[in-house]
Order: sequence, then C-alpha cells, then structure tokens
Amino acid sequence: MGMLIIIDQPPYGTWAGREALDMAFALAAFDQPTSLLFTGAGVNWLRKAQDTADIEQKSLEKNLAAAPIFGIEAILADRTACQRYNLNSEAMIDGVQLTNASADLLGQYSQTAFAG
Amino acid sequence: MTHSTPDSEKTSFTLVITGAPYSSQAPQTALSFAKATVAAGHTIDRVFLYGDGVHLASALVTAPSDETHWPKQWAAFLEEHEVPGVACIASALRRGLVDSHEQKRYQLGANNLLAPFAIAGLGEWVEGSIKSTRTIYFHAGA
Repeated sequence: MGMLIIIDQPPYGTWAGREALDMAFALAAFDQPTSLLFTGAGVNWLRKAQDTADIEQKSLEKNLAAAPIFGIEAILADRTACQRYNLNSEAMIDGVQLTNASADLLGQYSQTAFAG
Repeated sequence: MTHSTPDSEKTSFTLVITGAPYSSQAPQTALSFAKATVAAGHTIDRVFLYGDGVHLASALVTAPSDETHWPKQWAAFLEEHEVPGVACIASALRRGLVDSHEQKRYQLGANNLLAPFAIAGLGEWVEGSIKSTRTIYFHAGA
C-alpha cells in the first residue's frame, strides 16, 4: 500500500527531515501512493505558527502545507511522541491523523524510509 | 564449487547512501553489502547518494595513505559491475558537488564529480524504488 516516509528528526537543527520531505514530494509527483509519519522529535514539524525569524531560516510549516497539493495521501503522527513533546491537537496544524508508530503500521506499507 | 543463486530467487537492489564518508560508516557498510549481494548472484540496479551521502562522489577527497579511500573504492566497484551511481542534484549543489554541466550553469570556478558518478534528480531514486525488488538505506548511523 505505497510508501511511508518516516520523519524522526526535528524540523530545525538538521537538514535530514527536509530532505526526507523532498523524497516524499518526489514520490507523489511520480504518482506513487505516499504517506508521511512524524515520530520522535519529528512531531515538532507539526506545530502551528512556527516563528523562525530568530534563527534566520524559512519556516517549514509552508513546505509541509504543500503536502496535500503534491498528493501526499496522509500525514500521520505518533501519539506517544506528541504527548512527550506536549503537542496537543490545538497546537497542531490541520489534517494530521494520530496513530501508533508500530510494526503493524509499518507493515501496511510496501516500503518505508527513515529521514536519516 | 561455486555458489549460485537460482534465477527465481534473484533479487535486485537499489542502495541509498545518506551518510558521508569519514563522518559515518554508511559508505563502507553499503559497499560491503553491495559486494556480498553481487557475490551471491543478485544485482544492484543503482546506487543513489542523498543528503550528506553525496560527499562520496567528490573527486577532491584526499584520504591519508593509511586509510581507505572510500570514493575510489566505490568508483571501482561501480565500474567493475557496471552499476550506475547517481548523486541527487539538490543535495549535491547545496554541498558543493558539481559536474561540468552544473559548473557552467552556475558559473562556478571548478567541478569535482568523480567518475563514474553522475548527478541527477530524485526521479532516479523513485524509479529505483519502483523497479528494484528492495531498496536499502544506509544512514549515518549505519
């Protein structure tokens, strides 16, 4: 059932997550069924109203907002990781489905790839 | 007696290397995997360098004489087994890895892509992940 790109790296401080997002968009651009799973520190990608002015970087919120336009099928977030980073539904961008990042979940996809 | 794998059990692989040489073991682990794969009668469809992995395709890497030169080791493997080695263009340009074409396009002072590596887009990885039986990732932790 398509490919699952797993982003387990924080949005800032490393480029690995951004490059994983580019992979997901490339798959979707070639009409491959693709979903994203945010887990670990990666769930911080999903915070609403990211203000990056002080670190002189572009906010990644806009990049992620393009996911449905590219045809990404689902944006999933690991429930436990969201709790650990105190990320509740009010602080989260729209369209995220909470799930458990388990072997069962990964087993539903024909391929999986981690950010790094 | 040589060990051979029946055709029906042959597997094709796309290898993705995202860890850089000399700051991670990813290129070394991937090369060991690639050699074992070929020795067992399977095929490597292509090797895709992504993120920091593109440093493996730099012609300017100069390792101390008592250390393994991973770019040259990989280049020799790719040539011997006629496996395409591709560095992602977006990752490569960000990290200062360019071929003569990109040098001209961006009017840069030099190019540094090691043959037989090529520079291409993520489409190469997408194609590999569709066509190959398996795609294996070698990250910095590998």
